[in-house]
Amino acid sequence: MHIVCLVKFVPNVENFAYDYKTNTLIRENVRLVINPDDACAVAAALKLKEKNPQISIEVVSMAPLNVIPAMEDLLRRKIDKATLISDKLYAGSDTYVTSMIIARYLKNTRFDCIFSGTHSIDGDTAHVPAQIAEMLNISHINHIVDIDMDFFNEKRAIVEVDFEKKTCQFEIKLPAILSFQKVSKYKLPYIKYEDMYLNMRDKIAIATNEDLGFDESEVGLKGSRTQVIRTAVKEFAKKEKVIVGTDDGGIETVYRYLKLKGFV
Amino acid sequence: MKKEDILKDLKELLSEDQINVDYEDLYQASADRYKKYAKAKRALDVPMPVAIVYPRSAEEVAKVLRYCNEKGINVIPRSGNTATEGGLENWKELTIVIDAKYLNKIIKIDEYNMQATVQAGVVLQDLEDELRKRGYTTGHSPQSKPIAKYGGLVATRSIGQFSTLYGGIEDMVVGLECVFPDGHIARIKNVPRRAAGPDIRHIVIGNEGTLCYITEVTVKIYKYFPENNRFYGYLIKDMETGIRILREIIVNGYRPSVTRVYSEEDAAQHFSHFHRGKCVLILMAEGDKPIVEATCKGIEEAVEKYKDGIIERVDDKLIENWFNHLCWTQKDIDDEIQCMIDSDRHAGFTTEISADWETLPKIYYNVIERIKKEFPRANDLTLLGGHVSHCYINGANIYFVYNYDINCAPEDELRVYHHPIHKIIVEETLKLGGSMCHHHGIGKYRTEWIREEHDSAYYMLEKLKKAFDPNGIMNYGAIYPQEESIRKYIYRS
Ligand SMILES: Cc1cc2nc3c(=O)[nH]c(=O)nc-3n(C[C@H](O)[C@H](O)[C@H](O)COP(=O)(O)OP(=O)(O)OC[C@H]3O[C@@H](n4cnc5c(N)ncnc54)[C@H](O)[C@@H]3O)c2cc1C
Repeated sequence: MHIVCLVKFVPNVENFAYDYKTNTLIRENVRLVINPDDACAVAAALKLKEKNPQISIEVVSMAPLNVIPAMEDLLRRKIDKATLISDKLYAGSDTYVTSMIIARYLKNTRFDCIFSGTHSIDGDTAHVPAQIAEMLNISHINHIVDIDMDFFNEKRAIVEVDFEKKTCQFEIKLPAILSFQKVSKYKLPYIKYEDMYLNMRDKIAIATNEDLGFDESEVGLKGSRTQVIRTAVKEFAKKEKVIVGTDDGGIETVYRYLKLKGFV
Repeated sequence: MKKEDILKDLKELLSEDQINVDYEDLYQASADRYKKYAKAKRALDVPMPVAIVYPRSAEEVAKVLRYCNEKGINVIPRSGNTATEGGLENWKELTIVIDAKYLNKIIKIDEYNMQATVQAGVVLQDLEDELRKRGYTTGHSPQSKPIAKYGGLVATRSIGQFSTLYGGIEDMVVGLECVFPDGHIARIKNVPRRAAGPDIRHIVIGNEGTLCYITEVTVKIYKYFPENNRFYGYLIKDMETGIRILREIIVNGYRPSVTRVYSEEDAAQHFSHFHRGKCVLILMAEGDKPIVEATCKGIEEAVEKYKDGIIERVDDKLIENWFNHLCWTQKDIDDEIQCMIDSDRHAGFTTEISADWETLPKIYYNVIERIKKEFPRANDLTLLGGHVSHCYINGANIYFVYNYDINCAPEDELRVYHHPIHKIIVEETLKLGGSMCHHHGIGKYRTEWIREEHDSAYYMLEKLKKAFDPNGIMNYGAIYPQEESIRKYIYRS
């Protein structure tokens, strides 16, 4: 059984500094890291592989070549194969074009199931997995917080999905795209010390436009149907930590807080 | 010898409330901030001590030491618990930690003779607060001031942020009391100076608990004039410009209390609100008004001389604010621990070295270049830079700072990340004749290079150990290298 994991590398927002003079984020020296939701998807796939060694995992990412070291680290975590879709022509592609490019690669790839994250922390549109599913004509489910390890095979998967107010269980026919959320309990395993310096370059295939054959006008900024006019920095409110005792004052504080948030 | 027998014997020597065998406390006492990440992740690979004991007097310290000396039990002296280099890490199955918790009295503040006497467990901040009320200061301000205690501060040869004016702890200690493994209590008297043979204070200062247990310290105190403090901050072209300016100020005889130059990367983490991707130079002048005025003149002249390297002056208020929040409180440490538990990150590591003015920039650039080129996980680095923060007439220190995304298991973090970087810094420093250790102490991890550090003078260091701790019970593995344990606890082989 072959699982493809779609992975996006995103700027590590935790390392952003803020320039108060110009009100912009300082992006210099910001490194790319695996998108947190996608890391959960890969971690879930690795857990399934741990249970069933017959499973093989391929990581697919559309990104510039500088993500190769990060891809190598994924392979050192016992991923079988990685494919990097990378071509200068693809720079500036919107979510639709990105989905089209990845879908074309997937059309010529064998898979039983596709895992991905639900959101990416930079774009945050949640478009890509849904659009790819549409283009591949397979089902898609997102906001997954758990997958039943015992009932996962080529034909079906049982997943738990978070609907804010409740969690629902779905059984889904495969092939499909299963999109995980960061809150799921899956965490990428550490790289073993002995594997830390394994050369993984050979396991990374690079797919360029020569392989995928798009016309220049179909991809990149030119092919994109949406254009970014302006980006706005999200305000991060500083959270105050309040410690209260188990006395009347403390109970009152907690009660008022819960009321404010609409829980009582 | 069995642990139970040791505990039974300890009960004969001390009262029950002076012996702690709480599991969590023993776990925490097994290692210091060197293995902070593995410790937070519950992945420590070192043995736990048998007990932590809290003597109330030098005589009680002597009783415990004499017992351990007879039975061959390892002793780790402990005060504020802020050690960063493995000085508190335990490498022996049978170890007793002697903690200065109950040695917590400020014994005397002698304003006329400008000295204060404290027990080893007095927190630096507590003495400072007491002195400030009377218009004085200790002049000692390591970033760990709110937590570190006098025993540890003296045992590590610590230094504070105002060192260029007040000096390191070695310039402050007047006299002290310490206890040797055989139970001998030695008191070094408090005199302004003497020529009665070698200065024996220096056997104790910086011994890192490997020769004796410090129970009491007398330090100098200084008049404090906070209302006169003046701050200077500049964005500058490069580290070298900053180092030249500092040298100019110092060699002309001026002593600002703070003299710091930050690399672009380090400046970015400290001064995100104004650094603009540049190096930062900061200075502070303090003291009585005429002294401050003269110091400011010295600073301004030096800056003028090297004005081609100055990009712009920074608002003094920003520098002052930054200074007022520089120290780490226990809460900051607890927050970092929580962050390590919750995620795969920590606040980074540092390695501090010293060298003469000429060599300093060479070491800096060689180190940075080698790390970028040779460190196999350079791609995981999220920070690599440094600052100069303590100046002397013939040179200064460099405090290398680095942080990284951790991709390995917590127990492997040091050998994958910190050690290879640390090794490059130490090698480059020793190669050019600098000292591999400016102020954190050797601890356990730099012992590999201690012979190279001291070269032919290591003979003297070795003799001290043989003379004062012939049975080798004091802080096994610190300062003095223990090859087998280095393999086990550093290289994990
Ligand atoms: C956030 C932070 C900031 C820091 N900033 C600075 C800084 O600016 N400057 C600086 O110099 N250091 C700094 N340090 C390092 C540390 O605070 C110093 O080394 C300090 O002197 C240690 O004091 P302590 O009381 O915590 O000692 P401990 O951590 O308890 O012990 C340190 C070492 O001294 C030995 N020791 C402790 N007590 C005794 C005793 N009574 N007799 C004999 N040996 C003893 C121990 O065995 C150990 O080897 C910092 C540490 C932290 C965590």
